[in-house]
Amino acid sequence: MTAPITADPESVPAAARPGVRELHDQLERVWNDGPGLRGWLMSTDHKSLGKRYVITAFVFFLLGGVEAAMIRAQLARPENGLIGPDLYNQLFTMHGTTMMFLFAVPVMTAMSLYLVPLMIGSRDLAFPRLNAYGYYVYLLGGLFLYTSFFLNVGPDAGWFAYTPLSGPAYGVGKRVDVWAQTITFTEIAGIIAAIELIATIFKQRAPGMSLNRMPLFVWSALVMAFMILFAMPWVAVDSQFLAMDRLIGTHFFNQAEGGDALLWQHLFWFFGHPEVYIIFIPALGFVSTIIATFTRREIFGYPAMVLSLVATGFLGFGLWVHHMFATNIPQMGESFFTAASAMIAIPTGVQFFCWIATIWGGRPRFATPFLFILGFFAVFIIGGLSGVMIASVPFDLQVHDTFFIVAHLHYVLLGGGVFPLFAAFYYWFPKVTGRMLSERLGKWNFALFFIGVNVAFFPMHLLGLHGMPRRVYTYLAGTGWGDLNLVATIGAVTIFVSVVIFLVNVARSLANGELAGADPWGSSSTLEWATSSPPPSYNFAHLPVVEGRYPLWSRPIEPPVVTGLRTDERELLITTLLDARPDHRHRTPDPTIWPLLAALATGVTFIALIFTPWAAVVGGVLVIGPLVAWGWSKPKPGDPVIPEGVT
Amino acid sequence: MSARESVRVAGEAGSIDVSALPSTTFGHRALTWWGTVGFMAAEGTTLIVCAVAYLYVQRNFQVWPPRETPLPSLTAATVQILLMAASVPVMVWTSRAARRFDLAGVRRGMVLSTVFALAFCVLRWFELHALNTRWDSNAYGSTAWAIVFAHATLLIAQFFESGAMAALLFLGPVEPKHFADVDDSCLYWYFMTGAWLVLYLLVFISPRL
Ligand code: HEM
Ligand SMILES: [Cu+2]
Repeated sequence: MTAPITADPESVPAAARPGVRELHDQLERVWNDGPGLRGWLMSTDHKSLGKRYVITAFVFFLLGGVEAAMIRAQLARPENGLIGPDLYNQLFTMHGTTMMFLFAVPVMTAMSLYLVPLMIGSRDLAFPRLNAYGYYVYLLGGLFLYTSFFLNVGPDAGWFAYTPLSGPAYGVGKRVDVWAQTITFTEIAGIIAAIELIATIFKQRAPGMSLNRMPLFVWSALVMAFMILFAMPWVAVDSQFLAMDRLIGTHFFNQAEGGDALLWQHLFWFFGHPEVYIIFIPALGFVSTIIATFTRREIFGYPAMVLSLVATGFLGFGLWVHHMFATNIPQMGESFFTAASAMIAIPTGVQFFCWIATIWGGRPRFATPFLFILGFFAVFIIGGLSGVMIASVPFDLQVHDTFFIVAHLHYVLLGGGVFPLFAAFYYWFPKVTGRMLSERLGKWNFALFFIGVNVAFFPMHLLGLHGMPRRVYTYLAGTGWGDLNLVATIGAVTIFVSVVIFLVNVARSLANGELAGADPWGSSSTLEWATSSPPPSYNFAHLPVVEGRYPLWSRPIEPPVVTGLRTDERELLITTLLDARPDHRHRTPDPTIWPLLAALATGVTFIALIFTPWAAVVGGVLVIGPLVAWGWSKPKPGDPVIPEGVT
Repeated sequence: MSARESVRVAGEAGSIDVSALPSTTFGHRALTWWGTVGFMAAEGTTLIVCAVAYLYVQRNFQVWPPRETPLPSLTAATVQILLMAASVPVMVWTSRAARRFDLAGVRRGMVLSTVFALAFCVLRWFELHALNTRWDSNAYGSTAWAIVFAHATLLIAQFFESGAMAALLFLGPVEPKHFADVDDSCLYWYFMTGAWLVLYLLVFISPRL
């Protein structure tokens, strides 16, 4: 292990390698998206789209944060008149929907779509055009939700839109339809990302990267992708049922005609609980990667880590009923789901012990990414502990629908998702932009975020125990909840300041940050650090050949590479699923505008569907054109073509 | 001859030359196969959710189908099942032709599959009426329609896919990878027809038991 880190091939002077410059130029010509706005709109590059995806998701995080700030401003003191009940309902629904569907899940898939091809030593994702389509569908879904909100048609039935409140009898107007259709947009994008990741991870790993050498982050992206594939259709269908109950008079959730309000909850949470792990599992991948780099040690117990990830993926599907303890679920069922909920702590515990064992013997470097990982440990563990509390039915019945739950879910989501995400931002920012973020501002960012989260959310446990219900726009002075609410609001302000510092840090770095070089951390182990920062359009001039779990740590001075891929066309190397032996070469398509147009057609269709079911027919026809154009390839000179008559 | 990387970066030992590897493969070796399987998994899950809803609301009814709702009629659905069964050997044969790079064979196969898919769609129209209930009658009607309709979207999509593919094979230019696409399309066909067999038993037969 830990052979000296070698310089990346790109940094060797071109003169030292005759022909290398020409190779780079040739690859750049073939893999570049083309100039200007046109090239940007037609791009199918996973890095270009991945960056946009992450930035878009982060903008939604900021918007969700503004909504949270408004909520906290209103609750800061009793009987506050800042925001009325109707807007308040929209605000917490928009906040929850934005954070879950437009930020947390998409940002995790987006990070994976950016990182995975680099980490496994490939040139792009499996289906680049589909990736572009998925991104645009997601973007349109978000724009649609926010346009509706500004037109005062923002959803207002909570982020899980329980029937009958969201049904035709109570959810008047189009607000809930907007919610249901936003879900459709985001779930389609999510499923597409999942398919991309599975195919890419299974078939495009660099030669030698057998499954048992795959970086832990790639494992977590794989598990996440499978969870998305089998979880998201549940909520997609559920929300379509709701839309149909509202538009064409079906009775899926109408008790009077044999439908069932609990059917909504079952289908929603069969997706909703796995969703938490869809957010959490890639975050675990960030944690493992960053710990390895900043302790310069192999992660203790790689097989145990992988098995824990996979086990979490399976167990995540067996817990959904713990969100429904307050309904008339049979008692036997409640006990089962309590036990299952406690059991999922085991694989997570295993990972925690492996990380501790890794850090224990090492001399960790306390750079900003590592600080955020430590923050993750502290905050997530508190969320986990309150989770074990509410897994027990009698306790849950006491705090159900109170601020105790709000405290719990934020400790889990911020601790298990956002802290690792910030760690990842600091860690990979130099790779993506070629510039370092400031460590000084980073430490302020971390400190204020850590303090802010605890000050904002810890008091909510107490408020919940004192009986303050969630989703109320105000409370009476006599309740005595005023002080703790004020504290929580001060915490929210602290978080706000911390995020502003982050934005300042990013802006300053982009303007004149320190140049990063290929591997600024000096101890990274995964392949993305073997190429320049930012990576060239083709990722690697020669695909690497992998000889261990931590390829950059065991790399000889003159690393073996792959040669013989075409340089006049976009070609990927496909390897075998288990052992990653070279299998064949795959011609991957050029940039095109059709995915964007197909996404626009899809968007128009979904939006029109809120008003008339006939939009399905018209829209279906509208979508077909771009789809056919997209699939109709134009071979270039040098591509094999089957001549007429030859069979 | 197409251009290839000829320059070797250092590191002779362990380097791999892939220029001689094939560029078209079939089945699980190929990327597009995984894409097809991914969509099958997602769409299969969608159908499962519809079936779960159908079974779940059943608990709220004393008789199933509910009183005054006749059983679904069998004629159209049974013709459909038989037609689907007949289509499968054709697709097996098309898949073999694809793997032989037999252009005439895949052209014939994709034309036939377009015709089959169109026939499925037409029959589906009659099947929806054969449910003998409406989507807005009660939860039985809603969930039964949901299943049959959700599966119909697969048929419609396949009709357009087969049609476009047939057009491509005639109008060209035809590339080797298109044979792999035809092969994937056959795989999807088995999924589509196989899924319907299960759903047919659920919607048309199980209420009779
Ligand atoms: C950044 C600072 C944040 C603050 C100050 C904050 C604040 C709040 C508050 C006060 C509520 C309760 C509103 C009510 O019940 O009346 C709430 C609800 C919620 N938050 Fe946050 N939040 C933050 C970040 C997040 C993040 C990052 C996520 C997810 C990744 C998230 C997900 C949710 C969800 C799902 C709800 C429930 C919405 C509903 O009841 O329908 N929040 N948030
Ligand atoms: Cu849960």
